Amino acid sequence: MSQKETDILSILQAKFKDTTVQVQPQQLGKVAVIADATTYRDVLKALLEADEKTAVIAITGIDLGATLGVFYHIRTSTAGIITIKVEVPKEEPRLKTISDLMPGAAFDEMEVTDLVGVVFEGHPSPGRLVLPDNWPDGVFPLRKDAKLDNLQFKPTPPSEPASPGNEDIVKIIIGPQHPALLEPEKFALKVEGEIVKDVQPRIGYVHRGIEKAAESRTYLQDVYLVERICGICNACHATCFVEAVEKILETEVPPRAKYIRTILLELNRLHSHLLTLGHAGLEIGFETLFQYFWRDREPIMDITEIISGNRVISSGMTVGGVRRDINEADIPKIKGMLTSLRKRLPFYKKVYEDEPSIKMRMKNVGTLKREDALKLCIVGPTARGSAVDIDVRKDEPYEAYGEIPFKLITYNEGDTWARMNVRMDEVEESINIIEYALDNLPTGPFRVRVPRVVPAGEAVNRVEAPRGELFYYLKSNGTAYPERVKVRTPTFANIPAFLATAIGSNIADVPPNFVSLDPCFSCTDR
Amino acid sequence: MLFDLYFVFRVLVFPGFTFLFFFTMFCDWVERKIEARMQNRMGPTFTGPGGILQPFADVVKLLTKEDIVPGGAKKTIFRIAPIISFSIIVFAISFLPIDGAAIIPNSSFAGDLIFIMALITIANFFLFLSGWASANPYSDIGASRLLTQFLGYDIPLVILALAPAFLAGSLTIASIAASQYLPFIILAPWAFVLFIVTLQAELEKDPFDIPHAESEVVGGLETEFCGGKLAFLRLTRDMQIVFGAALVVELFLGGPYGPVFFGFPAFWYFLWFVLKLLAVVVVTEYLTCLFARFRIDQVLTANWKVLLPLSVLSLTLTVAVATWVYPLVM
Amino acid sequence: MGKKKKSSISPMVKALLSNLFKKPATCQYPFVKAEVPEGFRGKQVYDINLCISCGLCSRDCPASAIEMVEINGKRRPLFHLDQCIFCYQCAESCPRNAIQSTKIFELATTDKSSLVIKPEEKAQKENGEQQ
Repeated sequence: MSQKETDILSILQAKFKDTTVQVQPQQLGKVAVIADATTYRDVLKALLEADEKTAVIAITGIDLGATLGVFYHIRTSTAGIITIKVEVPKEEPRLKTISDLMPGAAFDEMEVTDLVGVVFEGHPSPGRLVLPDNWPDGVFPLRKDAKLDNLQFKPTPPSEPASPGNEDIVKIIIGPQHPALLEPEKFALKVEGEIVKDVQPRIGYVHRGIEKAAESRTYLQDVYLVERICGICNACHATCFVEAVEKILETEVPPRAKYIRTILLELNRLHSHLLTLGHAGLEIGFETLFQYFWRDREPIMDITEIISGNRVISSGMTVGGVRRDINEADIPKIKGMLTSLRKRLPFYKKVYEDEPSIKMRMKNVGTLKREDALKLCIVGPTARGSAVDIDVRKDEPYEAYGEIPFKLITYNEGDTWARMNVRMDEVEESINIIEYALDNLPTGPFRVRVPRVVPAGEAVNRVEAPRGELFYYLKSNGTAYPERVKVRTPTFANIPAFLATAIGSNIADVPPNFVSLDPCFSCTDR
Repeated sequence: MLFDLYFVFRVLVFPGFTFLFFFTMFCDWVERKIEARMQNRMGPTFTGPGGILQPFADVVKLLTKEDIVPGGAKKTIFRIAPIISFSIIVFAISFLPIDGAAIIPNSSFAGDLIFIMALITIANFFLFLSGWASANPYSDIGASRLLTQFLGYDIPLVILALAPAFLAGSLTIASIAASQYLPFIILAPWAFVLFIVTLQAELEKDPFDIPHAESEVVGGLETEFCGGKLAFLRLTRDMQIVFGAALVVELFLGGPYGPVFFGFPAFWYFLWFVLKLLAVVVVTEYLTCLFARFRIDQVLTANWKVLLPLSVLSLTLTVAVATWVYPLVM
Repeated sequence: MGKKKKSSISPMVKALLSNLFKKPATCQYPFVKAEVPEGFRGKQVYDINLCISCGLCSRDCPASAIEMVEINGKRRPLFHLDQCIFCYQCAESCPRNAIQSTKIFELATTDKSSLVIKPEEKAQKENGEQQ
């Protein structure tokens, strides 16, 4: 345990020594705190005072039989996750909101209300988040006793006018079908002239109920299920899940498997960043840049095909290691492709620095200040573009990241241009990481056998997906099926950034702003 | 009798409507092929040899689709506006000498440069009307942006077009084209460069293609159109590009006049005209691929704060230089 | 000072012109076949002689694409390729390596019945060859 972590643990132990709050080290992350409905806010306030970079990662709602559990997973600037466990009775599921202390928790609370049924008093904008507007009241899908057959849907409520009485305000709806968005979500902009006054998001159009589906499939089948939450960061979802299972099983993965996993994860990151950089070009009307970036993305998919058999969804992870080995004969070909990609990077850097129309469209657009990024609990390149240096690969190294040297990229400007530059520099770092891993691949087995039935326990895990920090909470009850799988994806945490930066900007700035936080709605809705 | 047949042939077949129709499609193919090759991809390849029939296939496809008029649209304007703007542009082109004489024979008159500029403004206005008549917020935004853009950029366009008019000493396009012993691109290069930039804005091409910005306003003013009316809108846009390039050729590149080697001079004039026009199309397409799209306020700043003063300056410079250089050259 | 000014022109200016004369990056599929590496996860091929009817492939399939059917008194897997996600967990779970991958990926068809790998054809073919 590093010095700072011990401090947090001792601060909590000292503060809550004679109270009903129990502090358990090395449980569910670094520290688990058992609190109840009256004391959890004090724990949160203590954490906020101790560390300025405290942010909420996720809020898990879970059906524990007679009670409903609400687990707050908090991230501090040290390596650890701190989980605050609160239980509320099922008949009276009420809790006070924490969005006054941490505005970034608003979305998480709305989701818990939708799916498990806990009502948060004092929430700034209660309403449906992932379930449709005509979902019947009182049916909460993630409860164990939820009856999901023969649902009686309510009639869809009519859409409201923009602003009754004020005719200058026009309502422009981006989505659910819009050329600016790759996937369907609805953002209703209230616009006066060309300035955006308000943004109302509505997500949940691609909600497939994966968390519920994971409870009725075995652990082995779930690896493939969670892989398909997102097409581009599929290896990250799979890795996060299998690492959580391995934490419960207390299995140690062989070193060769760790390196191969790292290579697959970095290939995902390369794919995703090149895709976003091209897509950003399309949003600002720069088709040529889009075509060039996507042409350079093709070798990445070819490399993934060589290593794993498929161009996009690699299906390379399994509990206990990776499913197939890297052929030594393929390594020179892979390195050749990476070298030619690396030669293209200075061209793109120069385009971003010298092309006047890119700078006109991207500089000072969607600027997010550092304090806002911390308050809204933003993750990933969006945060690193605003000088917040969080990266799970550095904060809590997993797989082989502890042994491979690489730089953490941050930029200070906080606008769209900075975020795109963060991604471009990360492309270069990813190429470095893959080459280092290929050069130093350890020998030995790439897989260990694990039992099919996982003993009872719970674990939290996080990895750095291309868009930011991906978080999983897994609870097993000793059967072949998991009890609860909770996924918090990075885009879910970053949408508040878009809402905050879009207000006050031009309509024309909304698409580049939006694309710069790299939205992936399949991830958001699960 | 013979004169009537000649008139009908010139107006309807060559170099009139039919020729313009196919020539527009040919220019569209050239544009798409050049854009594709610059972006390292192939462009239309398989429809016809080298993909040359692709624009034609697009028009035929659109004509076979169902033609829907939205319930809340102003139906008459919705139906007529695309056709009117298309016809006005065809009418405007017919004043330009393509093979040494204008399409409508003996039609050029003193001041037809200004007349053509006015026609283009009216054609654009009908495009705006077609967007305004659709009952769709995206069309409204696209149409209003179109209006802002073309009304704004018309002024520098006219001022810049006056530079070659001054050098030639007349406002008749045929005379301007004919009096270029040395093409005006060499005598007034500043006017040429600024004219090309303003033309990009007038034709709504990158970096000024906001009215068609897909990522913001879905389809712009074209959103509600489908079937035959969309074919007309697309043809209007393509023909505007041909018209703009033809104007550049007439004003700055010496029109259809060039060295005649053997046979009919009309054939050679026509050939030079086509070659010069294709060169201008390639240049404008290059500029399109080079830039990202400007925001509407940046477009307006570019117009009122940059292009308008520069165009006035260019006219002044042309006048000053002409009184000094003109006697040496002519 | 002059050199710094020159380097502030976007490299896109030159790149566009040079790409005009280069070969396009497009692979002209279907006239040029795409090369697929070894280990590509394409259509499955199933060897009925190795199968021991354990049913692990069907149990472990995440997409429920394998159905155990009765052939000549034995349980054999029937593969529904329209459900299959080509993860090859079935190949991994099979204790006898009876399921292998091929490089066939052009499976698009308008006839849904062709998207099924039936074990019986193989059995009849084996019987036919033995005779």
